[in-house]
Amino acid sequence: MGFLDIDRVTKSFGAVKVLNETDISVEKGEFLVLVGPSGCGKSTLLNMIAGLESVTAGEIRIDGARMNDVRPAERNIAMVFQSYALYPNMTVRGNISFGMEMHKIPKAEREEKIAQVAELLQITNLLDRKPGQLSGGQRQRVAMGRALTRDPDVFLFDEPLSNLDAKLRVDMRTEIKKLHQKLGTTIVYVTHDQIEALTLSTRIAVMYAGDVQQIGTPQQIYDDPANMFVAGFMGSPAMNLLPATVARAEGGPAVRLDLAGGEAVTLPFPRATGLDAREGEAIVLGIRPEAMTDPEGADRDSGALHRVDLPVDVVEPAGSDTYVTVSLGGKDAIGRFRAHTAAESGARAPFVFDMEKAVAFDPDTERRIA
Amino acid sequence: MAAPTANAVTAGTGDPARTGGTRLSARLPRLVLYALLGAFCLYYLLPLYVMVVNSFKPLEEITSGGMMALPGSWTGAPWRTAWSEAQIGVQPTGLRPYFLNSLLMVVPAVTIATLLGALNGYVLTKWRFRGATVLFGLILFGCFIPFQIVLIPMARTLGFIGAAGTVRGLVFVHVVYGISFATLYFRNYYAAFPTELIRAAQIDGAGFFQIFFRILLPSSGPIAVVCVIWLFTNIWNDFLFGASFADYDSQPMTVALNNLVQSSTGVKEYNVHFAGAIMAALPTLLVYIVAGRFFVRGLMSGSVKG
Ligand SMILES: Nc1ncnc2c1ncn2[C@@H]1O[C@H](COP(=O)(O)OP(=O)(O)OP(=O)(O)O)[C@@H](O)[C@H]1O
Ligand SMILES: [Mg+2]
Repeated sequence: MGFLDIDRVTKSFGAVKVLNETDISVEKGEFLVLVGPSGCGKSTLLNMIAGLESVTAGEIRIDGARMNDVRPAERNIAMVFQSYALYPNMTVRGNISFGMEMHKIPKAEREEKIAQVAELLQITNLLDRKPGQLSGGQRQRVAMGRALTRDPDVFLFDEPLSNLDAKLRVDMRTEIKKLHQKLGTTIVYVTHDQIEALTLSTRIAVMYAGDVQQIGTPQQIYDDPANMFVAGFMGSPAMNLLPATVARAEGGPAVRLDLAGGEAVTLPFPRATGLDAREGEAIVLGIRPEAMTDPEGADRDSGALHRVDLPVDVVEPAGSDTYVTVSLGGKDAIGRFRAHTAAESGARAPFVFDMEKAVAFDPDTERRIA
Repeated sequence: MAAPTANAVTAGTGDPARTGGTRLSARLPRLVLYALLGAFCLYYLLPLYVMVVNSFKPLEEITSGGMMALPGSWTGAPWRTAWSEAQIGVQPTGLRPYFLNSLLMVVPAVTIATLLGALNGYVLTKWRFRGATVLFGLILFGCFIPFQIVLIPMARTLGFIGAAGTVRGLVFVHVVYGISFATLYFRNYYAAFPTELIRAAQIDGAGFFQIFFRILLPSSGPIAVVCVIWLFTNIWNDFLFGASFADYDSQPMTVALNNLVQSSTGVKEYNVHFAGAIMAALPTLLVYIVAGRFFVRGLMSGSVKG
């Protein structure tokens, strides 16, 4: 049992079931990120933790206490909204102080706390402005300040950075991470940005269609996706999911991938001992772009590097890397090469596959099989 | 050298194609526009002019024919008579007590109806419950009920609650009528008010009324002004309810003015009538001038993303 328990929680809006027996357990001090495509129920789950939506079935507990019927103000949570939701008629000071006022905290104590929070977030010079006179990043900070005054058990963030421009988003991301390291409060953070999820979280819950697909550390989610949805959702560019056939090579398991023009390559896949029985069957091979690279960029510590020359379709320089597209198993596969690669479209280029990093899925159930 | 300037001037008149030409032809559209506006302005101001001018004339100057002329000898006597001396009821009290009646009627009625309308709008948009849409439809229906239909039932109701023939009774009637429009205004305004703000306040620990008075109402400036102007004008200018439900000592200004003008004894003192009519019109005029300035949009900007 964790600090924040979401125990078989179901949510329906009328006949529409939005969340389906969701089970998540969050430890104290953890930074859990809920990630998933639009409409998968992330905000709904967060609102239920906050007490802003009722729970149709199941139970939400904080520190062992059942929260289902506790009012939002009494749950000792704080929430930062996507739109910031700053009270337009109050100054920044008023916004930060409002919650404490409602909880009947004496004025002197409020002032002290406001000063402290403003200092922490570097908004002291903005305290007497109205929200309308602030930039997006400043509003974001004020919204966090308002939440911080409460010393909450759990911090809830609903896509707090999605309204900021790319540069500011990266800055604020770092600030939120610093804040978590400094305060150590439990955080549940919703985003549909997988980079945010990977960089901020101590654990990630990937949601899709009302179900939690996988919960794990960023490393687990990235390296060991439980199914094809998670594999395809996390990472940019996404993991290549390539139709392949189970084969044998070098006295061990292997996969065969069709190339354009009737050729095929066979890659030994030593990790996949579990696939022995499936020889000749179709699977989906999952391999990340960085495990499909030029010989110089390959991870030399890997025990399963295989070099193949493949005909290149497209070369896309992207600053620090160059993305090279080839056709594998009838799909476009993207490899991540160093910036100044010699690969040219139309010619063959040497690819090194790191098969230690490859995974395999059942094409029917879409589950991980190796 | 003058061409760019002329061009910039004409651009505002919606004729940007005209680039060169003489100065006069470039300015012509603007001159026509001003002449037209001026003419309309005169047309609308003429009745006011007649009223003001004649309210400051001795009666002989009006009866001797010059309605349009400025007063030969200015006098404040008609105003004094209309305000405090004219015979309206039994006593020669002038319009003063009735003006007070109107104020005592309109201020509470506007305040109560606006607050209730805001409260209705708040509940209908932010605390949605089963049947909210139907209820709103029914409230809206109140906007379309003609005054005449409710005269008799309302008279009975007022008698029943013991408010017949009192200013209190008139306040009640106008609040009942005012709620429909006030609700319509506020509901539509609050429908666009970000619900996340309400949720944030809930998490901050604010209750139903705290959210209403601390968050929602202070952000309702523009719509409150619209609502107040509308209600004030309607209630102040109402004649039918005032004539139907008021006693001699609770008559509003409109009814008293009618009595003043209609009184058949002696000569018709037009100058006094004009002064009285201006008095009756001044408060609504004042509300427009004062409240209109606060009719600022964009109080909401900055609360949410942008
Ligand atoms: N009040 C409601 N009534 C009916 N359906 C709703 C209601 N609120 C949300 N939904 C539905 O529930 C689903 C989940 O919504 P939710 O807002 O939780 O998605 P989300 O994961 O936060 O998406 P996004 O990333 O776009 O914010 C959506 O399909 C939405 O249409
Ligand atoms: Mg959402």
